[in-house]
Amino acid sequence: MSTRNGPARAPLPGQPVLLYLRMVPVWVFVDEVRQFVESFCACAGIGAEREGQLALATHELMQNAITYGTAEDIELRLSIDAAADRVEVSLTNTCAPGQPAQLRARLAKLREQAPLESYVRAMGADPKAPGGLGLPRIRYEAQLELEAVEEGDRLTVSARGKLMPAQLSAAMGVGHG
Amino acid sequence: MGEAKWIEVAGVKASDEKYSALLATEAGQPVVRFKGTVSTPNPALVLNPFVDAVHQAVIACGVPLVTVDFNGFDFCNSSGFKSFIYWVDQIRRLPKEQQYRLRFTLAPTKRWQRTSLLALTCFAVDIIEIAGG
Repeated sequence: MSTRNGPARAPLPGQPVLLYLRMVPVWVFVDEVRQFVESFCACAGIGAEREGQLALATHELMQNAITYGTAEDIELRLSIDAAADRVEVSLTNTCAPGQPAQLRARLAKLREQAPLESYVRAMGADPKAPGGLGLPRIRYEAQLELEAVEEGDRLTVSARGKLMPAQLSAAMGVGHG
Repeated sequence: MGEAKWIEVAGVKASDEKYSALLATEAGQPVVRFKGTVSTPNPALVLNPFVDAVHQAVIACGVPLVTVDFNGFDFCNSSGFKSFIYWVDQIRRLPKEQQYRLRFTLAPTKRWQRTSLLALTCFAVDIIEIAGG
């Protein structure tokens, strides 16, 4: 099989694997994109646990980008760099003025606590109030740290971390059932 | 295999495009079964009333434990997960002698379930337990 750029090939050892998607921000795509990211990560051979974590992070970030985005498109970028032991998933959307500063303040507040601690604290908020759980969930369940970067009217929220972090359940002393 | 033993509790169920939830009894004990994927923008509109109905049914039975079956539950977004926090909150509002526990049975291949429930256990160790965990 070949492509316009030459024969199709597996990524070279040490070469980062990249996925880039630009899409209309439609809610029904979120599920499909999460599943696609999980399959993509499976092809990259990063292990089932990490595949699920990156898919979860993608899902939560994409929901936020759709909810808070103000334009016709959002962009997803996924990078898997085995050589550097790094993974990163980011979502970019057009945002309203003031939104990035609010988000950065929120992320700074989250970072004051360990991921599990901030997640459990978020659970203590009014359970009927919408939102508020997705970002702490990413920090703890996907073991990724969050950052928000603004460029003009575009906001990129990135979740990055180690490719092979310690297993959460093992770290908590809980066996797999 | 165990499907035939299930007796659905009339009227206590909820569903949306991609998921469903129902209350049943198995050997006389309440079991709540979730199936599918919760990924809608505001699942609380469907799930919280379902939790309320289950909660009332469980209080009426006076049982100390409810099994929550996640075996067919493919994914739940954070908005949907808040309905389980809402459930915990409802239980905590009961007098101590009426409070009951939630025992979750998980699908080993759906790894999000374990991490989500581990965190929920930290939030409500007095109410949440993971079967075999």
